[in-house]
Amino acid sequence: MSARYRNRAGGRVLGVWLIALLVALVATVQIRSQVEVERSFAGTDTASLAFLIDNLHRANDSLQAETADLMQRQLTLQSGSDTAADQVLTDEATRLRAAEGLVPVHGPGVVLVVSAAGLQALDLQDALNNLAVGGAEAMSVNDRRVVLGVPVQQTPGGVTIGGVQVQPPWTISAIGDANRLAQAADLMTQQMRADRRVRQATYRVEADLVIRAIVTERPFVYGS
Amino acid sequence: MSRRRVGSIFVVAAVALATGFLVAGQVKVQLLTPSNQVARYQALVRSVQELEASNAQSRLKIAVLRSQIDALEAAAAQRSAATQALQSQVADLRLHAGLTPLHGPGVEIDIANGVPGADSGGEVGYLVNFKDVQDLVNLLVANGAEGIAVNGRRITPLSAFSGSGGQVIIDQGPPVSAPIMVLAVGDRLRMEAALGDPSGLPDIRAREVQYQLQISFRGRPDLALPAYDSSLDTRHVGTL
Repeated sequence: MSARYRNRAGGRVLGVWLIALLVALVATVQIRSQVEVERSFAGTDTASLAFLIDNLHRANDSLQAETADLMQRQLTLQSGSDTAADQVLTDEATRLRAAEGLVPVHGPGVVLVVSAAGLQALDLQDALNNLAVGGAEAMSVNDRRVVLGVPVQQTPGGVTIGGVQVQPPWTISAIGDANRLAQAADLMTQQMRADRRVRQATYRVEADLVIRAIVTERPFVYGS
Repeated sequence: MSRRRVGSIFVVAAVALATGFLVAGQVKVQLLTPSNQVARYQALVRSVQELEASNAQSRLKIAVLRSQIDALEAAAAQRSAATQALQSQVADLRLHAGLTPLHGPGVEIDIANGVPGADSGGEVGYLVNFKDVQDLVNLLVANGAEGIAVNGRRITPLSAFSGSGGQVIIDQGPPVSAPIMVLAVGDRLRMEAALGDPSGLPDIRAREVQYQLQISFRGRPDLALPAYDSSLDTRHVGTL
């Protein structure tokens, strides 16, 4: 074998090795890139992340408002006056009574009317939860006040709220941020209209809605 | 060098050039697009993480402020009988609203994801979702629960559940996902009976069979629930 032939053969081998190296490099980058995409997308998609971000922004705004309110209350109490302390406690009692459904309330909100046959307690619970997610601060169904501690149950005779039957059509009143509630109500009524059981689902926005129904406080027997 | 050989060198060079362009195009399409997707996704994840950190800080601050306010109110109550009566009323209201820790007998419920079915496609029925938690909380409320906490987050009269996929968002908290532990203080026997009733929680029961979703519960003689550490928003409500 001549030296010239050996040099040519060596050059070919080097060329093959270079090409193999390049192919391996490209393949590795490609595979690693795909693995990274798959790993980072595991479990959560971008739409869910966007939903999360929107929710966390709103939540953080609400927490900051609560912090500012608490700091104001703290400042008032630090003034040391009995009148100031009484006012802080009276305001807090009023706020909590409204949140717990113990007093009649009013404010901006929406009224949904759902006429349907065959809707279950689970459907009503979903509707109430959707409005709560939409910012409802007080709710009632057919003049029965609803807070999370009031049981909404399915019985052979129909749906009951706090043990009292609520026959359709359901008139659901919700007080809160009227814009957010209207968005929630709009989506809800659209979805309800697609349900065969629902004959009619409408909503209206009211500037000053009144909820007179109240909940009777249950004394705690087990918890302390 | 013959003309034939020069021609063949040009053909090889042209083919090599075309291959080079093709490889470059392929690399651009196949590598850069996923890289951009990853970068975008990572930016979203970073946003979520920053917002969650801010959320945790705010909740911690709220808990500290509430505790400081409690101390100031207690000090004020020692100076006047009227203030003491008011403070007692507020303490009772806070207890019912979930703003103070609660302990007593109750039940612990553990719920975990199942396994994806072979033919489930894009369905996420094997994941514990917010409606499962909502249904569970409603069942407990209807059967004597006086206080409930989900993964350490206390439920209030205004609590709301949302989320997508396997994420559960409760009020203003960051999302939680399975395994989820629900603690409920109240009528332990009634709650145990309701949880053991095969006709209760129909959706969860169906997915227990279809996806091996796991749910278990046990009665406990003394459970401790934390206080709610977020906002009880009643800005739009006025009393009559």
